[in-house]
Amino acid sequence: MNVPNVTHYIHAYKVAPWRIQVRWAGSVSLGVLALTMVASLFLYISSRTAVAGREIQNLNAAIAANQQVNTDLQTQLATLTSSSVMASRALELGFVPATTKDVEYLVVPGYFRRAPAILASAELPQMSAPSVPREYSQSLLEWFDQKLTLPARGLR
Amino acid sequence: MRQQYARRARFLMAAMGLIALAIIVQVVRIQNSPEAAIFRQRASNYAYELKTFYPDRGEIYDRNGHLLAGNSIVYEVGVDLNAVRDVNAIATAVSAELGLSYESIADAIQNPSAGLTYVVLADYVDAQNAQNLQALKQALNDQAGSAGVGGLVGLEFKSHPHRSYPEKSLASNILGFVNREGRGYFGVEEKYDALLAGSPVQVLVPTDPNKAFEIPRVPDGTTLVLTINRDLQAATEQILDQALIDYGAPSGSIVVMDPRNGEILAMANSTRMDLNQFWNYGSIYNTASDFNPPISTPYEPGSVIKILTMAAALDSGAAVPGTTYLDTGSILVGGATIQNWDQNPWGLQDMTGCLQHSLNVCMAMLSTTMGAANFYGYMDKFGLGHLTGVDLAGEAAGRLKFPGDADWYPVDLATNAFGQGVTATPIQIMAATSSVANAGRIVMPHVLNAMVRDGRQYSVPAQFAGTPISEATATTLSNMLAVSLESEGSLALVPGYRIAGKTGTAQIPVNGFYDTTHTNASFIGWGPVDQPQFMIYVWLERPSASIWGSETAAPVFAEVAQKTILLLDIPPDSIRQQLMNK
Repeated sequence: MNVPNVTHYIHAYKVAPWRIQVRWAGSVSLGVLALTMVASLFLYISSRTAVAGREIQNLNAAIAANQQVNTDLQTQLATLTSSSVMASRALELGFVPATTKDVEYLVVPGYFRRAPAILASAELPQMSAPSVPREYSQSLLEWFDQKLTLPARGLR
Repeated sequence: MRQQYARRARFLMAAMGLIALAIIVQVVRIQNSPEAAIFRQRASNYAYELKTFYPDRGEIYDRNGHLLAGNSIVYEVGVDLNAVRDVNAIATAVSAELGLSYESIADAIQNPSAGLTYVVLADYVDAQNAQNLQALKQALNDQAGSAGVGGLVGLEFKSHPHRSYPEKSLASNILGFVNREGRGYFGVEEKYDALLAGSPVQVLVPTDPNKAFEIPRVPDGTTLVLTINRDLQAATEQILDQALIDYGAPSGSIVVMDPRNGEILAMANSTRMDLNQFWNYGSIYNTASDFNPPISTPYEPGSVIKILTMAAALDSGAAVPGTTYLDTGSILVGGATIQNWDQNPWGLQDMTGCLQHSLNVCMAMLSTTMGAANFYGYMDKFGLGHLTGVDLAGEAAGRLKFPGDADWYPVDLATNAFGQGVTATPIQIMAATSSVANAGRIVMPHVLNAMVRDGRQYSVPAQFAGTPISEATATTLSNMLAVSLESEGSLALVPGYRIAGKTGTAQIPVNGFYDTTHTNASFIGWGPVDQPQFMIYVWLERPSASIWGSETAAPVFAEVAQKTILLLDIPPDSIRQQLMNK
């Protein structure tokens, strides 16, 4: 086997038309595959976004409904412990209204008279309603745009 | 052969490429055509809808955290006309549960207005009724199965909040009520309507179900904490109701206030209404001022005003406690003869005796000695004829005539000094008299103790409306009033506690003349004198058991004072002095 012949075959292999066609077909397929992947990703994210958005809305509605129920229960509790109800229950249990003659005052160090109610500590501070992150409402292109433009905005 | 295939393939590729290019060009052309812009515009009109989110109305609590006004769930019961299968079943069930007419329900479903797909059958339905209907609907559905017929399919329930008052009629005159449109009427509900109602938020909501949108933040209305003590309010109302029976009075009012800061602890009125049935308002009250007379019904208060006359006299130097005069039983002022309540002379009296025996002649002598300008100057500074600014809707100012007014006569200088010819509300007299109990400073009466918004509680500071008299005058007069009560053995006295106060028995003007048979009986008092913690005003209208305030209003004051002492944990003077000395 002599060397010139091998070189000749290699050259012929490199310039073979089918090889160029395969290279073209491969490039096009790669492009199509990339586009398909992007489109699939876009669809996947879009569908998940929609589902998550709906879930958030449903949860918000559930929170609002629960808050209404809580308020309703609170009112029911207040009705059950209203002044007239408690007074009649006390009388049924054998209690009688106290008079000034029934009361003995003792000096209790550190005792302070009952202060007006502090209602704010009874519940957590009312935070703003849970907001939907931008990622759940923007398209993929908007997300790219945001990522690309944010650094530029940061330079201002 | 291979070249021929290659040519055909290239031709085919070119043709398909051209077709693809044509499609792309056409797509781009359509997307950018004027028609596309019109369609986009039309679509955008339906892409969003304006939705209003209403906040829940703020709650109202008493000073100890008892709920006085809250929100409960009620239901709107309606019918989805597209889903209805059995009109008869729905009409029968709803009419039986809600007490509505079968025919009207059937008619509403069968003959809806054009274009309607949903018909409201009833609103503000109690949760219990709605749950019964929901349970019936579920049971019928379960019985019928998936291939079932009729039932209550199409019957819909929508919940929404509704104002509710757990204490029903308790403190109804203070709270007021909210109608179904969400507007507050009377009392706190009207005065703080904007705060309680909060601010609705309008947002554009996408109609595309796949587009998530941000739920706007809709803060609840501001929650209010009142200065009212629920238990004291209940006790005061109970005492008032009993007093009306005991003394044969058709109506009356009692107000309990902290004279140090103007906090109203209780305000009872004999006519009350269950606020959960606010629609009965028209059948319960004749006029709007009947809703809360202590702030909205001025009347001639009579001798309780003698406190103010004496305060003015002492402060101006027209008299001192030891000043004496010879009471002859009458005095001539402005051409009219002024007489004492018993039309008798009381002989030599000092200023304490003047208060103790409630002598009109003495008061006329003091006001004329002071002179009109001085006397009315003090009355003006005491706030007579002016609104106190109490934070309840519907306050009335009363009337104090001044020299120069068309209907003022010289005799008014004398009669005004003992509470005739001048009108004031109980809350005005309390505010004015608070200067005597509070070292000379007039407090501004109020019912709002604090506001809770966004999880933070904001306290409302006490406000003062001037200092018409000096601290020395206030202290001196308090002691004089206490001595006068003790000297006469008043029924207003409370064992163990030193009380200052004054009765009032006022004739009632009717058509320009005074009614000779009926009176307004009043008493204003406060205690403990050296460290006042409560001020109580009692007003009984036309008591039949006795016309005298000393025999009707005074004992009611004592009863309310004892309850106040118990509920506010105020120890007797002796124990309090021991504590102060330690």
